[in-house]
Amino acid sequence: MFYAPMSSRHSGFGETSNPLWSMPLPRWNPCFPLEFYEWLHATDFLCLQLVCECVLCCFSCVWEFEILPCDSEPAFGQMFSSSLAQSFLPEFISGDFDSIRPEVREYYAIKGCEIISTPDQDHTDFTKCLEVLQRKIEEKDLQVDMIVTLGGLAGRFDQIMASVSTLFQAPQITSLPVIIIQEESLVYLLQPGKHKLHVDTGMEGDWCGLIPVGQPCNQVTTTGLKWNLTHQTLSFGTLVSTSNAYDGSGVVAVETDRPLLWTMAVKL
Amino acid sequence: ACKGTHPLDPSRSLKYCLVILNQPLDKCFRHLWHKAHLKACADGGANRLYDVTEGERESFLPEFISGDFDSIRPEVREYYAIKGCEIISTPDQDHTDFTKCLEVLQRKIEEKDLQVDMIVTLGGLAGRFDQIMASVSTLFQAPQITSLPVIIIQEESLVYLLQPGKHKLHVDTGMEGDWCGLIPVGQPCNQVTTTGLKWNLIQFFFSFMDRTFGIIAKHSVQPFLWFCVLETYLTFQEK
Repeated sequence: MFYAPMSSRHSGFGETSNPLWSMPLPRWNPCFPLEFYEWLHATDFLCLQLVCECVLCCFSCVWEFEILPCDSEPAFGQMFSSSLAQSFLPEFISGDFDSIRPEVREYYAIKGCEIISTPDQDHTDFTKCLEVLQRKIEEKDLQVDMIVTLGGLAGRFDQIMASVSTLFQAPQITSLPVIIIQEESLVYLLQPGKHKLHVDTGMEGDWCGLIPVGQPCNQVTTTGLKWNLTHQTLSFGTLVSTSNAYDGSGVVAVETDRPLLWTMAVKL
Repeated sequence: ACKGTHPLDPSRSLKYCLVILNQPLDKCFRHLWHKAHLKACADGGANRLYDVTEGERESFLPEFISGDFDSIRPEVREYYAIKGCEIISTPDQDHTDFTKCLEVLQRKIEEKDLQVDMIVTLGGLAGRFDQIMASVSTLFQAPQITSLPVIIIQEESLVYLLQPGKHKLHVDTGMEGDWCGLIPVGQPCNQVTTTGLKWNLIQFFFSFMDRTFGIIAKHSVQPFLWFCVLETYLTFQEK
């Protein structure tokens, strides 16, 4: 499997004239990064896979993805002409390096990508990568609005949960919103308070949900959903909102007293 | 206590029922099917069964298929109905097909006075993220539906909800993989103690908000007895 590459020719999306970019939390559009994906339909984009040592680095106008060519899938390998591969170099690769293949590490090192070892076994590669990323953002004084993560929502169940856990730790690492996308699922952790999500980009799929992963949320109120909540409790064992949908208004408002995981379908 | 991977261990004589959810069926499915005392599909799970048993479908007929039937293909539903499988509509939109399937299953178990030890569910841990969470949510509701332990298996992952109290898990069947984990889904677990893990806990506060959660996901299990005092998931790899 491979990441669908993102060309720097789409730099226009970084322009501040796009009102969605300048929209601060809580009013933001979880789908707006996905407008980048419109061109992907021409490239047999199939699925995304987490590379433990990498996170998507978003620098002002240019989005770069980590690419992991898979030798066992020659059909996909053909997509990677040397010129293509040259265009998709991450700023850095971090992790404990128990997963990255030696030739992959060597390739990116030779190409000038920073290889940063984060051996701490008390945290996942994703968490540590966010820490490195935040440091880079500060060092370079980058003005960015969010961090988009590809992968982490499939495969080993404990690692899916570990990805979710990182979202809980993210606010201590960075003030930027962190979202995770894999296949048709997007997840984003809503902190306590009020949130307004614009879901009228046309890239939203059919379903959405509110998942009280870490603890019961005792006061949840929503509008804009097919099945709304009014000062209700969401908790595993009582009520979890899954297979919800939209009421067509284009805006979902959520108020919660505890961190609450928002999940939705996205159409890539 | 849950016997972990024993349904897959041919040397054991554990009796179980099988529920198939709407996810690709794993290789272990055939072995599990023939040893199950009652087999059921939840809605689109019937599509999966139908597709993967082409050429030998008559050897893989569930006792019933339940759900709101928004996923099952018409020809699949018709095939199993003609073959005598019970088609049970459970339209309630406040509960998932999985939850409702467990309710029907429990009723069948009581009607037939089946002596089984557990319910094994295939699928539910991949695909749409909200549906993965819905599967987990059903494990929380399961104790109100059935007294039988309910486990979910998909690919290399197995999950089982440990109720408050002490649990002893035998992980020496040879079918365990390299990893396991304790996940405090739903609420923090304030008093967690373990033995038998590579990284054990002594009275840890365990929550998604606590960085110590990250430790558990990388543990490996020694073939040894261990206790957990918490309400979480245990996951470990099936071979």
